[in-house]
Amino acid sequence: MSFLAPLFLIASAAIAVPIFVHLIQRERKRVVQFPSLMFVQKIPYQSVRRRRIRHWSLLLLRCAALLLIVTAFARPFLKQGVVAAAAVGGTREIVVLLDHSASMGYGDHWQKAKDAAHQAVRSLSNNDKATLVLFSRNAEESMRATSDRARLDVAIDQAKVDADSTRYGPALKLAESILLRSTARRRETILISDFQRAGWTGSEDVRFPEGYTVTPVSVATPNADNLAVPQVTFSRQAFSGQERVTVTAGIANRGATPQDVPVSLEVEGLPIQKQSVKVGPNTSASVTFTQFTLDKPIVEGTVKAGSDPMPADNTFHFTVSPSAPVSILIVEGGDRDSSLYLSKALGVSTSPVFQTDVMPVTRVTPANLEKRAVVILNDVAFPPAAANGALKTYVERGGGLLIAAGDHTTWPQGEKDVMPGTLGPTVDRTQARGATLGYLDHSHFVFEIFKAPRSGDFSAAQIYHYRKIDPGATDKVLARFDDGGVAAVERKVGGGRVIAWASSLDDSYSDLPKKPVYLPLVHQLVKYLAQFEAPHAWQTVGQVVDVQSLTKSRANWIVVTPSGKRVPQTGPLELDEQGVYEVRPASGSAGFAPQAIAVNIDPAEEDLSTIDPAELVAAVTGHAPAAGAAALPNAAEAEQIDIKEAERKQSFWWYLLVTGLLLLAAETVVSNRLSQSEKFL
Amino acid sequence: MHQHTSDGTAIPGARFVDPKILARIGSLDLLARTVVDGFINGLHRAPYFGASIDFAEHRGYVSGDDIRRVDWRLYARTDRYYIKQYEADTNTNFCLILDISKSMNFGTRGVTKLEYGSYLGACLAYLASRQRDRVGCITFDSEIVSYVPPSAKHFNVLLHTIDRAKAERRGDLTKPLASMAEHFKRRSIIVLISDFYEDPSAILESIKPLHFLGNDLIAFHVLDPMELDFGFEDASSFEDLESGEQIPVVPESFRDEYRQLIRNHIESLKTKFSEVRIDYMLANTAEPLDRALFSYLSSRERLMRVR
Repeated sequence: MSFLAPLFLIASAAIAVPIFVHLIQRERKRVVQFPSLMFVQKIPYQSVRRRRIRHWSLLLLRCAALLLIVTAFARPFLKQGVVAAAAVGGTREIVVLLDHSASMGYGDHWQKAKDAAHQAVRSLSNNDKATLVLFSRNAEESMRATSDRARLDVAIDQAKVDADSTRYGPALKLAESILLRSTARRRETILISDFQRAGWTGSEDVRFPEGYTVTPVSVATPNADNLAVPQVTFSRQAFSGQERVTVTAGIANRGATPQDVPVSLEVEGLPIQKQSVKVGPNTSASVTFTQFTLDKPIVEGTVKAGSDPMPADNTFHFTVSPSAPVSILIVEGGDRDSSLYLSKALGVSTSPVFQTDVMPVTRVTPANLEKRAVVILNDVAFPPAAANGALKTYVERGGGLLIAAGDHTTWPQGEKDVMPGTLGPTVDRTQARGATLGYLDHSHFVFEIFKAPRSGDFSAAQIYHYRKIDPGATDKVLARFDDGGVAAVERKVGGGRVIAWASSLDDSYSDLPKKPVYLPLVHQLVKYLAQFEAPHAWQTVGQVVDVQSLTKSRANWIVVTPSGKRVPQTGPLELDEQGVYEVRPASGSAGFAPQAIAVNIDPAEEDLSTIDPAELVAAVTGHAPAAGAAALPNAAEAEQIDIKEAERKQSFWWYLLVTGLLLLAAETVVSNRLSQSEKFL
Repeated sequence: MHQHTSDGTAIPGARFVDPKILARIGSLDLLARTVVDGFINGLHRAPYFGASIDFAEHRGYVSGDDIRRVDWRLYARTDRYYIKQYEADTNTNFCLILDISKSMNFGTRGVTKLEYGSYLGACLAYLASRQRDRVGCITFDSEIVSYVPPSAKHFNVLLHTIDRAKAERRGDLTKPLASMAEHFKRRSIIVLISDFYEDPSAILESIKPLHFLGNDLIAFHVLDPMELDFGFEDASSFEDLESGEQIPVVPESFRDEYRQLIRNHIESLKTKFSEVRIDYMLANTAEPLDRALFSYLSSRERLMRVR
């Protein structure tokens, strides 16, 4: 006879209680019923007298009941049953989910994780199968289901920490699909991770079927200190025809101790400046470096801050290029005032800067259209120099054309491929209050910024005259007047875009230029037509970029990754490493400028705060994990499990407990009878 | 006439929710309607929320996703597979867990703790039912006595169940709470009404499994004023309602220590519950029900914001 929980036997000392009770005889007083004496019992009662023991039978009954209950709690079992219990169970299908996200590079997390994975492999018996799944943002099967422990160990040893962020959803879904295919009796998932809170939102649609178990193994360091550079910002100044850039870096301290952090800036591999900044616990600080000149089309830079157990997020890469102004040609009829509002509105933009030239229609030549991002025909007849397909060629090559239709505007029949529809007569709305804009296509880029409530009141603008436009079948109407007439219509021609605005953009046809919406409307129109896209100074690991879109050419490119691999690339490129990717023209594509893409790890990886593994397991399996499920069993623990299994099957405790309770019930009856027959209890 | 709460603030409509007056109303259904409608008329803002199934975001397709949820239009545009995700349906389960152990059958102000708990539970269930939530209840003492699964049609069954409940047996929070986790397959608002005569750590360990399943828990600790103040006068033999055990007590010498112990117990419960984000509220049976209703509404509103 042995005991599973022998410490409970200490409770047999409680046998002193009934003896003590029998020694204390109290006089019965008025009885007050009270919900619980839980607290009253804790208050010592002084006035008691010791007397000789009475009612020996009652005392023996109480002592026996107590001993039986204590023995039941100690869980007795016979050792012979242990061997039989070892045979029970069945084959296991195990999925080892090994987190190799960037945060696992912290200190010895990765080594601890690999040790835990090896331990899980060692726990396999000959019939068990295990699958190794490496996961970060996505999950992949590194080793398909096998009983070969040597191959699994090699796969674990070959795994490396990557630079991607943590997400538990895809990994758990993959584990579920693997286990669903299995026919094993016991299906288990072992999740080895640092349990970053950012990796689990709680809205993942993962729920394991009944009977599947998930064992979490946390390698997280409690209250881990971590320094990081989450972002940098730039301010630009023009100087002698060149731009100077000032870099400001943010430094985050996610630890509980204040730190003096040395921060350095390198540009094109050369150290520019080193500073020191004091960052308080769980706060951020910023460091502004001395400015440097942009003397190349693309300048690469790196900010490094201090050192800690997770060096990946202490380095921040970026690229910065001289800002390129958007070149615009406004063609007008010779009346300088007609383009006043337009040129003033475009002149105040800083991001991007619009470089505007105003030219009378008579002086326009085909050469003037070259290298213009947008041409605006501002209430003018069709320029003769742009006829015979010159304008069409310009738009097809990716140029933008904005036509503000007024009295002077003409659309020649020969240019109907470019013009969005047919231009009709002038509609006079001066008799009533004037026309207003009744419908705006808020899904279009131009009007998207006016989508939110109170973000642009077009109804305040009065339009007194406008030109009637009948759009073609393929043209897209972007705005209509309150009477249904077309106010703005778009046509895509080749790689370029054409938008016709049915009224003028000065104050002759409407009071729109005097309204607050005019400025953002003009900026949006021009940005859309110029196909302007703000350059990204850096990307995040896991993002995908289209190399041809980035380089704006269909040439062949070779991408050199931060680790030095050369990959021919024509389509989308997944950025899976931290550092600077170089995009070089392939042989035969000379003449194209090389590009660089700075890539940093996801800022969410810097936050090492953890989720309770039990909470994640409960969300996935639908029930809280059993106590002790957070650790993998070793050989000694496996034996302990067999002992538990034997004890569970024998279940002596159950009989002892029932007998003890029956004795207590008998004790109640006996003591009641005695208390009724006597004045004393 | 305005009823004053313990902190002295007047609450409009409180005359409808005085427990002593409520005790005269026989029907729980009528009682719940009287209290909740009176209480809601006193609010400036309607507490009901609309249900919606709104598009939330796209997410990349991963192995194991249901292909019926792939956005094929987006696939046509991008040549990549994306899954459409929606805001969850806001109709939720409301489950009342009512302790009917014998200790709840105690009352010195005309209302026992069990009656007060039943009123409170009926009002909350009515409120939830008007919200079109599914309502259900579990009564327990040392084991689960009755279980009404949550359903939109079970409001009357729930009222009948808690009206019929009798505090006759000893209580034990831990065992029935541990087995209750089986009953909650989807996220619910769980209202636990009990006098919590157990060790706070043991209570918390029993409740944790419910909380881990994503349920939103609100615990109402119902106590009679005499349990809080121990305002007894004469030296008497105090009998435990559940165990029948008797102890001689001289109230004057016990009072200060008793009050300190019950205060510590309440503080301990409050701290431990707040650590795991369970709402805890002490309900004194001498006070109107509206504070408890406010507590429930604020919790319901918080749950609405969770996707």
